Amino acid sequence: MAAPSSRLQKHLLRLCARKAGIKQILFPQNISSTPAKSLVVRGKLSGRCALQKQLKNGFIPHQSCSHCLSTDPAQQTRVLTEVDPFQLIEQELHTLCDDIKAELVNSKKELQTITQYYFDGKGKSFRPAVVMLVSKALNSHTVASERLLPSQKRVAMIAEMIHTASLIQDDVIDDSKTRRGKESVHMTWGHRKAIFSGDFILSVACIALARIRNERVVTILSQVIEDLVRGEFMQLGSKEDEDERFAHYLKKTFKKTASLIANSCKAVAVLGDCSEQVAELAYNYGRNIGIAFQLIDDLLDFTSCEAVLGKPTAADLSLGLATAPVLFAAQEYSELHPMIMRRFSSEGDVMRARDLVAMSDGVAQTRMLAEKHSQEAIKLIRQLANSQTRIALEQIAELVLKRKK
Amino acid sequence: MQFLTRIPIQAGVSCKSRVWKCVKYYPFLQAKRFVFWGTSKANDWNKAVSDAEKIVGYPTSFMSLRCLLSDELSNVAMHTRKLVGTKHPLLKTARGLLLDGKHSLQTRGLIVLLVSKAAGPSSVLDDDQDMVSGIYPRQRNLAEITEMIHTANLIHKGVVNLSDLVEADGSLQDMAFGNKMSILSGDFLLANACTGLAQLQNTKVVEIISSAIGDLMEAEFTEMKDSDGLPVLPTSVKFSHWLQQTFLSSGSLLAKSCLSAVTLANHNEEVQEAAYSFGENMSYAHQLSEDLKPFLRPDSDLQDFSLTSAPVIQYAQSFGTTTTFSLMDMDLKQLLNGVLSGHAVEECRSLCNEYAEKSLQSLDIFIDSDAKQALVNIVKATTQL
Repeated sequence: MAAPSSRLQKHLLRLCARKAGIKQILFPQNISSTPAKSLVVRGKLSGRCALQKQLKNGFIPHQSCSHCLSTDPAQQTRVLTEVDPFQLIEQELHTLCDDIKAELVNSKKELQTITQYYFDGKGKSFRPAVVMLVSKALNSHTVASERLLPSQKRVAMIAEMIHTASLIQDDVIDDSKTRRGKESVHMTWGHRKAIFSGDFILSVACIALARIRNERVVTILSQVIEDLVRGEFMQLGSKEDEDERFAHYLKKTFKKTASLIANSCKAVAVLGDCSEQVAELAYNYGRNIGIAFQLIDDLLDFTSCEAVLGKPTAADLSLGLATAPVLFAAQEYSELHPMIMRRFSSEGDVMRARDLVAMSDGVAQTRMLAEKHSQEAIKLIRQLANSQTRIALEQIAELVLKRKK
Repeated sequence: MQFLTRIPIQAGVSCKSRVWKCVKYYPFLQAKRFVFWGTSKANDWNKAVSDAEKIVGYPTSFMSLRCLLSDELSNVAMHTRKLVGTKHPLLKTARGLLLDGKHSLQTRGLIVLLVSKAAGPSSVLDDDQDMVSGIYPRQRNLAEITEMIHTANLIHKGVVNLSDLVEADGSLQDMAFGNKMSILSGDFLLANACTGLAQLQNTKVVEIISSAIGDLMEAEFTEMKDSDGLPVLPTSVKFSHWLQQTFLSSGSLLAKSCLSAVTLANHNEEVQEAAYSFGENMSYAHQLSEDLKPFLRPDSDLQDFSLTSAPVIQYAQSFGTTTTFSLMDMDLKQLLNGVLSGHAVEECRSLCNEYAEKSLQSLDIFIDSDAKQALVNIVKATTQL
């Protein structure tokens, strides 16, 4: 919380800021009056390296950083506005894929090839990044050391493995032909082997999880696996009642996406010996980030083009799924209700629904809801002691809204 | 080559018609290979099992009712009706679970419970009062988890490669739907197994059972399986191939479940090794007896034997490196006669006895009890061919 007092601290902060592409940091004169906004960033931000890195990772932080600072009064005085969240954990992220691949080494070469297929370092690694940053922020909150515990790194790895296993299976269920810009597993190796590979990745993740030797963490993360399946089941049916439908959608979104992030965050809090209260905070931060993330995902399905996304668009409608933009649009255009009920199965339903969503406020409202969750996440994480990683986590919450794929 | 890799030698499906495509999608019938029960000596087996069930204090149905009665599985059951008229394997698997349930479903769980009881109460834990019929609640949960994993695997094995479909199988849409239901219900059982494992509050057991799940998956990627899960004879096949396949596809789960059962009661390493070895050897003995059955029936009708069954592999092994080449020229009848004319059947029979004997030796570590006797009876029923 304290503003940098010593020269050394200031120097370190400048160093970090420079790493993150920030040219100048002004330290406030009156420390006591602005405890939460102790660092004010001003001036032109080139931020090229940060920007490029995030572009590579599929995140676009701001159209232009300097633009943001000058036009948005709410953001005029902000806490160290631009750190590069991904750079803070670059090293750990760098070895992540290799660590996972090492876990998946197997005497059955084909099994190894398939299970390692998606761990090529080209994924967003969004989940492990959040988990690692949360770990660091929590560690500096509780023990004033950012150092990532090995067990926390394992959790980040397990989260990515569980996520990938579920991707493989989802792609079989939804018959998605491409994933992360390449052919889906089942297109190359067939449906059966895709399923077995998914199960195998899951079993290896469970072994890694067990080896952390913490019963509580095992319980927390096994809940994720159950949530993923239950979420998938929830996607099978549509609710008759309108209000129920939205609640159903949000619950499904939690189970399918947010549960993994929320529970992983909680797990690293438990491993970091945090209090119950802080563990709950981490959980809720992850939950809000996760829901915002999925809302944007559902939104991009309507607004983005295939080339950017790496997977087919309007895919949800074709699968019969009514996501937030459609559900919002249905409040304006009631002709969407019967389409939702029949899961867009009649001819022309998908096109018509797409047009109606485009005419409605559905996309804007979805974005607003996502923003609400993102703000909630920021509010929560600000309760932690101030640190580089905490700021990065605030930024992650914003990046989630701005991603293009 | 085409001939060999395409032989769908599966139980209950006539191969005479040679309509390969038609019988391709019955991998679930391999389930029969694991069923601790056969027709010839069914009575011995049934008696051993029903006696054993009394000993563990529960009638049947270890597959948790909680799971079967869940919204999720009822949903699957409802949707599965749409598959009637197609050849999707899920239909048969589901039917098998319900009709055959009494015999096929619970034997693994039953053995886990018997081993738990035979090993007795823990010397470290002093919560004997929690025991029901000499078994800890957590051991019962474990038995249920073992069944769930096995069933999930059966269901996932029924996923069909949609790219090799032929018209007779059903429409692409129906088959894709069948896949979806199979994947979801299998995942559901696996996920429940995961949360169940976590509740055992023993990370060692979580690790052991997770590795058993991994082994089941590995079993689908060996040289003895093609991409549709049908049996294939690798070139220069050896009996060690059979052992590995049997271990991965059934031995591992049973051995590791038995190991976990005694681990949960904090029994020492010696007991753990014995439990593991019992499960492993019991699996080999049982699989050998299952593989032998078609060859012992005088009226054997080419229906029930698998290309990768132990007697065929014993026979093929004698061909050395020319296996595939030599067997390629034979049709099924010739292959059957070939196996019958040599020593393969006798060798497998004595191997079966050998593994049964090994599994019985592992039980020596336990003091005499009704549970131990029940295990002995089950092993003996297995070897009575």
